[in-house]
Order: sequence, then structure tokens, then C-alpha cells
Amino acid sequence: MSELTWVDNQGILFDNTVSHKIRRLADTTEATRDVSEGMRVALKINTAEQGYPYGLRPGFVRVLADIAWKATQKRPIICDGQRLVDYWKRSRGNNFLETAGEAGYTNETLGGHFSINGGFSGDEGELFPCGENSDLGGVEVGTAVCRSDALWVLSHVTLHPLFGISGALLNGGFDCLSGRARTRILDGLNPYLFNGQRISSEDRKEFQLRALESHCAVRTAMEDRVYYVNYLWDITPQPEYYPFSEAPILNNLGFVASHDPVALDAATYALIREHAPDAARIGNMNFEEVLGYAEKVGLGSLGESPEHLS
Amino acid sequence: MTEYKSEPTKWTEMSGPVQGGRDTYQTKSWNPPKHTWGPYTETGPAKVWFAEANATNWTESMICKAKDLFYEAKLNECFDKGDEVAIKIHYGEYNRTAILRPEYIAAIVEEVKACGGHPYVVNDTTLSYHTFNNMATSQYQMEGAIRHGYTDATFGCPVLIADGFSGEDDYRVDLPEGLILKETYIGRAIAEADAMIVLGHARGHSITMYGGVLKQLGIGCQSKRGKYITHLAHWGDPHDAIGWPKFTDQCPGTACKFHKMCDDSCPRNAHKVFEHGKQWFPEKCRLCYSCQVTCIFSGMTGVTFEENYFPNAMIAHGDAALGAMKCFEKGKVGFINHAIDVVPECDCFPWAGLAICPDVGLFAGKDLIAVEMATLDAIDNAPVSPGSVADEKGVKQGEDKFRLVNGFSPRITMSAGEKIGLGTMEYDLVNYEPVLTPENAQKWQVRGAGHKPTTVRLRETFHRHDLATEVMPFKRTEFNKDWVWNEWKKYDPFKGETPA
Repeated sequence: MSELTWVDNQGILFDNTVSHKIRRLADTTEATRDVSEGMRVALKINTAEQGYPYGLRPGFVRVLADIAWKATQKRPIICDGQRLVDYWKRSRGNNFLETAGEAGYTNETLGGHFSINGGFSGDEGELFPCGENSDLGGVEVGTAVCRSDALWVLSHVTLHPLFGISGALLNGGFDCLSGRARTRILDGLNPYLFNGQRISSEDRKEFQLRALESHCAVRTAMEDRVYYVNYLWDITPQPEYYPFSEAPILNNLGFVASHDPVALDAATYALIREHAPDAARIGNMNFEEVLGYAEKVGLGSLGESPEHLS
Repeated sequence: MTEYKSEPTKWTEMSGPVQGGRDTYQTKSWNPPKHTWGPYTETGPAKVWFAEANATNWTESMICKAKDLFYEAKLNECFDKGDEVAIKIHYGEYNRTAILRPEYIAAIVEEVKACGGHPYVVNDTTLSYHTFNNMATSQYQMEGAIRHGYTDATFGCPVLIADGFSGEDDYRVDLPEGLILKETYIGRAIAEADAMIVLGHARGHSITMYGGVLKQLGIGCQSKRGKYITHLAHWGDPHDAIGWPKFTDQCPGTACKFHKMCDDSCPRNAHKVFEHGKQWFPEKCRLCYSCQVTCIFSGMTGVTFEENYFPNAMIAHGDAALGAMKCFEKGKVGFINHAIDVVPECDCFPWAGLAICPDVGLFAGKDLIAVEMATLDAIDNAPVSPGSVADEKGVKQGEDKFRLVNGFSPRITMSAGEKIGLGTMEYDLVNYEPVLTPENAQKWQVRGAGHKPTTVRLRETFHRHDLATEVMPFKRTEFNKDWVWNEWKKYDPFKGETPA
């Protein structure tokens, strides 16, 4: 068993398909360590905005949904919150479900109960503390997440204009909050950095710190029963909430998993840097700083190298 | 902060997190009551369209008649093109069998879409109701809904829970007009819709005696908070028991074989069994019915309701229905009652009794109370079904069936509803009978007007590839002359004699 494992994209055969690889990854990293029969597991995913063409394949989620189902003997909850900011002005829950359905995210395909984290409005949440010395104090965690017994954060890794990388740290924290909490963390920043929009490095850093603090609240809500998988597949320059994307910046690298989001995102970042040396320029990232601060607030530890499986 | 940032386009009305406490709850939020809401019928009787529950040809299919009534009653005028239209139904308790068939819902969704509306099907979460309730959480309720065939795939539009994952996604609506309630809470997927089509399953109900379209509003549109207040939680003194469960001296305590189920029934641990009865902690109780219903479902009488509770709850759910109506402009809500499988109890029961009368038909209109009155009168005028609870109680055709079966007349609700402006009890019934013409026969088929009939399409297929001729002549054994010519005649109902 390994705390941090990377299953690459090599040697795919009939008996070593992507599904086999994800299953092996879940085994190796003890995905079901914190769950038992009867528990409700929430799988937090990223559903793509209309126009974003590289959304995570539902089948990749399904493999882990089946593992959760088998471990708990209950259908898992598969959820995502409404958009960070509603680009197409389709903020209602019914539109969210329609958009997700068009991308293939349904109860039938995902193998669980697909629901909106935060309800129809996106505002349904419960307040949890972010820890001592927090600027935020507390944030409202979406109900589909905080009312579950365990959380699996399944992240489609992309670059992110504000956070650097959209992976375990962002998807398991900021993205798990209610809409109103995310608005508070965003604090007026425009997350769509195109059409001439820009952001100062100071504002970016403030956002990153607040987003990491909010991750502490999610872990508190889940009593640390959180497991993370990063899908390094179609790593696009734009994140899933964008209404478009350019082509992926590198070939698919496989999947990384851990119970430690800092180690996981650090390994993810290292892999991206190794295979796409100019990724930092593309995303204008300061992600090392993000990782350092994440470790400082107690979300995990840096330095571990992933066990490499093929 | 620097100047180049743009404003977020959502949740901007909230300057910060909602502050706790009922005095500040949602005071800074959007206020759902519409300025132009009000009873649809201002004077005189309201029109209600009726189609009977029978069919002998294409046009008389109940599904086709439901679509016809949608247009006859001008429900298509409840919304404009591009409007978000909530289709309110009851998702049904797990293991419930007498629920509205998915086809009826799909039929209306199809027509809302055909008219340019943007439909989605909704129901709210419930309170716990009993130990094994399936509808109190979004996840469980959706699992049950899927089992009933209520899915995006069957309806062709999103199917969701109106008041969020936990039942807390709601808006408060003030009710100065209410006879009992002065406020209620409506699920946001309903409160934020532009229009609503309410599809009611007309049948009995243990608390409100009858449940049709009004109950879809008075309970079905209420979020958890709305349901608590409509249940009259904490109303009166605990000794009066009106807004509280009534613990009787009939509880056998730990001798009751259901006592563990009973203890488990409360989501707040507000009661506990002891050797000779039940200990109750009213400060924890919020009146969800769980203890009462679990006890009654188990055939016991230890926890029950105060007698005057039911009429008061009926009036209160009329008030709550007004809360839902106030979320819409006048004329933006349409109603269809399906008097089909008219069973004695609610769709929130995890079983279904025998129907108290044969299927009656469909009722459609824009006046809530008129549609309900037409439905109730027709059910009362229908024959009593043999073997049903109505039959067991000696109910006669023409009598107030739900009063005799469940205890109080549903007309209490209707009268109270009329008083607060929900509609009129007077109605003109328009009997709708479709005319069998080639156009009408094709109109609502799977490929309707303007499309090739199935046979014509198959003609083209068979022209290219005739699957039957290809293998003809079919092989047959030598036929048995006794059976082909004589034996079957013994079973002929007119000429034959059934063999011993």
C-alpha cells in the first residue's frame, strides 16, 4: 500500500484498460479505508460548462462509484456545485442538470445519485469553521457534501486562472462550498480571465489563501474522511467552468490518488512540469506557493514521491 | 481591491453570509410573493374541463385526453415561450404502487416543451413521517422516484428536488391572509419558477382526508420548514395536543413488539420507551408525525393525534397552498387532477389500499378550488368499489366518500381555501369527448401530425428487406383437426360448455 500512487497511461491492453488502472489505483491507495457498509459516500466531481469540450468521461467516475457502492452497499452521491459564476446566466438547478446531462452525467451513467451540491439555488449549506487564525472564520459547505459520511474528491486536472491548478486542493475545498460562500471567497474577482480581464498577483494570492482555508472547513465537516483522485487526462489550459477550452497542453498522464491533497497536488504539479515544462507560463502559475501554504495550514505534507504503477 | 474586477453575476444580492435567527432569516434576500398574484376566477363559477376514464380508440387514450385537456383548459397560456415551468408532482414513497403513471407526466412535459416552455419536474423533501421514510432526503427520494419510473429519460427534462439536498433550500412567504398560518416556506425550485403546472393524483389522505392539486401546493410545495409549520408544530399548549403528538395510556411500553421501531422513529430523540409506556421530551419535538405514524402503521394506539387536529391541519394546509400560489403571477399556475387509482391514502404511504371507486377521469382548469370541487363531487358520485375500505364502511354512491373513509369532509379545506382567495367552490363542468377523425387519431401518436405513419415507414423497410417473405413458406406441423375445428369451441363463452 502507498499513501500516494500514480498509475500512468502506458501499456493499455484488454486486461489493463483505464478501468483496470483506476481500480488498481483505488486498491493501492486504500480508497475504502474510511468507509464501511451503510455509509453515505459523496463523490465530488467537476461537471463541464456548456461549450467546454474536454469534460471528464463519465466512465472514469463510474469505476470509483462502483467501488464506493460495493464498499458501502449503498448508491453513492455524485455531486457538483453550480458554476463559480454563471457564465451563460443559466444559474437555476434545472439548467445545471440539463447541462450535466448533455455531457453524459446522469444517474444511469454515473452509477449513483447525481445531485447538486447546494440544492437548486446552490445556496444550501452549513457553516463549518476554517480553523484557528483563519481570515474567513467559517464557510458554508454544500449539503450534498457535508451531509455525507465520507467524501471522495474526483478532480479533472486542468490549469486554473486563479488557483494555478484545478485539482484536489481546489475541488475538495472551494468547489465543495455553497454558492454564497464561494462568492464571499471570490470577493469580487472575475474568474474568467479572457476578453481582456486580468488579475493582480496580490488578489490572486488572497484568493488562493481563502480557498485553502475553506478546504480546512470541508475536512472538518467530513471529520477527515476524505480521499482524493486526480485525473491527469485532457489537461486543458482552461478549467471545466469555462465556456470553452483550447486543446490539452500535454498527453494524458494517467491518474494519481492519495488521502493527502497536498502531496497529491504536489505530485500532479511535478508531473505536469516534467511533461510540459512551459505549463507554468501557460497558466501563469505560482503553484509552489499554493502548495507551501496548504502545508502550512495543515492540509497535508509536501515531499513524498508517488509510487509509480503502469 | 483594484478597479478592473467585474461584478459577479450571481449571488450578488448577498453581501455576506445569512445571519442566523428568524428575525434576520432571508430579510436581505429576494422576496418571492408576486404583486399580481390572486384568485384566477373573480366572479361566478369557474370552468373545469373533464375527460372520463375510459377509452375505445386512439383519441380516447387517457394520455391523449390529458394532452387535449391541457389545451382545452388553456394551460398552455400559463407560461410564455422561454419561461421556466415547474411541473409539480408527487414522487411517491418507496414501495408505493398507486402513484401517477410516468406517461401522464411525460405527456404534459412534451406539450410544455412544444409550446416553448422550459419544463422541469419537481417535488420537495418530506419530514420523516415514519421510521422507514424514503422521502425525507433528496438521495432516498430520488432513488424511489427512479424506481417509480420518474427519470430525466422518461420525462425528457430534469427531475429534481425543489428544496435542495436536505430540504433547506427555500424562501419564506408571509401570509397575512392565512386563517391559521402567517408564514410558510416554499422550495426554491418552485418559488423561482416562472409558471407551474400541478399534476395531482386525486386520492385520500390520513391527515387532510383527501389529496389532489391543493395538497400538492399545501404540503408538496412546502420545504421542510414549510411542512413543520403546516403541521402546526408547537401550536397551543402541549396538553391541548393540537400541535403536538398525543401520547396515550394505551402504550404497552417495552412489551410492544414494535417498541424499538418506535424509539427509532424520532429524528430528534424526543421520546423513549420505558417498561410501561413512553417518556416524551416536548422541548425536542417539532411534530414530524414520525412517532404517530409509526405507531399507527404498526396497528398500535400509544401515540396518536388530538381529535381536532385534523380540521385545523386541513385549514393550515390551505394557508400553505396560498404561500405557493403567491410565488406566481395571476394565471401562471395550471392544474390537472387525475382521479385514477383513487385509493384511500396518500402517495407518501409505502403501500396502496384498494381503490374506493373505479377510475373517474381527468379534471383540468386554472381555478384551484373549482378543480378540486369538481373532482371531489365526481368521486362522490362514482360507485363504491367492492372490497375497498369504503365498501367495508358501508359508504353509498353519492355520499362524501373521504369523510366517511378518513373522518372529516375535505370540503372543510375547500371552504377555507375559498375564504382566503385560492379559488371558487362553484364550477361549470365542461365534458370533453374527443372526436375520432384521422387527424385526431394521429395527433398524439409517437410520430404525430406531419409524420409518416409507422406502417408507411415499414413499407419502405419491407421494400428493401422483406424479413417474412425471405423465410417463407413457414414450416408448420400437420395441424390437429380436433383442435383446429372442434376442441376450442368448448371454451366459446356463447356456445360452448367449459369442460369439467
